[in-house]
Amino acid sequence: MDIYQIKDIDHYYGDKQVLSIEDISIQAASIVGLIGPNGSGKSTLLKLLGFLEEPTYGAILFKGKKVAFFSDEVRFRVTLLTQAPYLMRRSVFDNVVYGLKIRKDTKDLRSRVGRALDLVGLDPENFAKRKWYELSGGEAQRVALAARLVLKPEVLLLDEPTASVDADSARLIRKASLQAREEWGATLVVATHDWQWLYETCDSVMHLLHGRLFKNGLGSAVYGPWKFGAEGFLHKEFDDGQVLVVPTPEEGKKLAILDPSRMKISLPGKDPLLKWKIDTLNGFVTRLFLERNGEMVQVDIKVVELVITMRLALDKVEEFKLYPGKKVSIAYDPRDIEWF
Amino acid sequence: MRNRDPATYSAISVTLRTSGMAMAVSLLLGLPLGYLLGYFDFRFKKQIRIVVDTLLSLPTVFIGLVIYALLTRNGPLGEAGLLFTIPGIAVGQAILALPIVIALTATAVEASDRNLRITLMSLGANRFQIAKSTLWEVRLGLLAAAVTATGRVLTEVGISLMVGGNIKWHTRTITTAIALETNKGEFGMGIALGLVLLLIALTVNISLTGLRRRI
Repeated sequence: MDIYQIKDIDHYYGDKQVLSIEDISIQAASIVGLIGPNGSGKSTLLKLLGFLEEPTYGAILFKGKKVAFFSDEVRFRVTLLTQAPYLMRRSVFDNVVYGLKIRKDTKDLRSRVGRALDLVGLDPENFAKRKWYELSGGEAQRVALAARLVLKPEVLLLDEPTASVDADSARLIRKASLQAREEWGATLVVATHDWQWLYETCDSVMHLLHGRLFKNGLGSAVYGPWKFGAEGFLHKEFDDGQVLVVPTPEEGKKLAILDPSRMKISLPGKDPLLKWKIDTLNGFVTRLFLERNGEMVQVDIKVVELVITMRLALDKVEEFKLYPGKKVSIAYDPRDIEWF
Repeated sequence: MRNRDPATYSAISVTLRTSGMAMAVSLLLGLPLGYLLGYFDFRFKKQIRIVVDTLLSLPTVFIGLVIYALLTRNGPLGEAGLLFTIPGIAVGQAILALPIVIALTATAVEASDRNLRITLMSLGANRFQIAKSTLWEVRLGLLAAAVTATGRVLTEVGISLMVGGNIKWHTRTITTAIALETNKGEFGMGIALGLVLLLIALTVNISLTGLRRRI
C-alpha cells in the first residue's frame, strides 16, 4: 500500500520555486533515502511529507486520502526529526514524554521512556534526569530520536540524522530507526549523505537536484562555468585540460547531470570507445562499495573535481580488476546529458 | 525612618497593591499579545512593532494625564468612579507596563530557535500547545520582561500622583509620599522611603532570581 502519493507538487518560498515533483509514491513500511546537495529541497520535501508545510500547488495524499495541513489526522502519525536537534529546556525525561503528554497518553510513562532511551543506546538510569545542556551533540540527537520513537509513529522522517554526530551515535541512530520499521512497521524517509544508510538500509533512493527528482538515481551534477563549443554544444574545461561536452541547455537550467547508467567504463587504451562519436573522460577509482544484494558494486570514479558513481555488476569489477587508485576511462554520449 | 509608622505601612501596602494589580493585568494581556507579535508573520507587523517600541518611552505623567481625563467625573469613563482609587492607579500602571511586557516577550519569542516550532509541531502539538510550550521555552526572557516592567511600575510617580491624587491612607504610594516629603523639606524622610522602595525591589528580584534557578 502507498502511504504517500505525491501529486504534481510545486512549492515556493516567496517567488522562489524550491520544489517541483511530479508523481511519486512511497510504500508503507519502506525505507526511502533522499539524497541531493545542500539546498536541493530535501528538508522542504520532508516538511511537506510531515504536513508541517502545505505545498503551494498540488497535493500529497496520505494513505490515499487528501489530508489538511497540520490536521489531527496526520499530526499524531507522522513525525520529523530535524537536522539540528532541538531539545526543549527541560530534562531528558520531560523531552521524551512531551509528545505522549500532548496525546494525553500517560500510561507507564517511566517504562516507555526507559524503553525509548534504551532503543537509542542511552541508559535511562543515567540519562533520564539530565538537563538538556548536559548532553553531547550525539546524545542530544539520540534523545530527540527517542522522543519520536516513543510515539511509535507510522512515518518517521529523518533529516540528515547522522550528519553531525560521532560514528557510534550514527550507528545507534541507524539501528534504532530500523527497529521502528521492524517493530511496528514504520515508514522511514531519510535525507542523508551517509552511504551506509542509503545502500545498506534503504529500499529505494530518490535523488533531488534543484528541487526536482532526478529519475535515474545516482546522477552527478556538473556546475559551470561553461564555454561555447561546436554545433550547439557547451564545454566544461577541467583543471587538467580534459573537456566535458554537453548539449546546450534549455532556458533557465543551470546544472548538467551525467547519468552514469548511460556511461561505459573501460581501461585506458584498451577499448576502441571512440569509434562512435563518443567522448571520454579519464579518472581513477576512489571507492568500491558492495550493495546490500551482493550483486552490484558502486564504483566512485574521480575525474578531477567530479565524482561519478557507477553501478557495475560484480563480474565486471572482477573483469577490470578495479581497485581504488586504478585508472579508468569513462565513455559518454554528450546527447545523454540532461540539464536541470 | 519612623518606627512602625502606620502611614508608611499604608503607603507600602498601596504601592504593593497597585503594582501587583498592574503587573497581573499587564502579564495576562502582554504575554499572549507578545507571543502573537513575535511568533506570527502578518501584515503591518513591523509597524505594530515600531508603535510598541515607541510606547516603551511613554512618559508616566502623560499616561497619568490621559487616564485622569478619562476617569474624571465628566470624562467618558467617569461613571466607573475609578479616579483617586487604587484600581485607577493600577489601570495607568498596567498601560505603562504593557508595552514592556509585549515588546520583551515578542523579542524572546522571535529569538527562540527556529527548530522549536517544527519540533513542537512534529511532536504533535496543536496551536495552543505550541504557544504554551514556546512561552515556557523562553521563560527566562519572560522573567526579564516581568522584572523590567515591575521595576518601572514600582518606581513611577506620575500616574500615582495624577490618577491617585496622593490621598493619605487611601492612594498615597511610596513614590508620591517621597514627592510630598521632599516638598515639605523632609529630605531624611524622603530618602528613608526611597530606601524602603529599594528594599521592596530587592526582595522582588531575589525571589525572581530564586525562581530563575528553579526553572
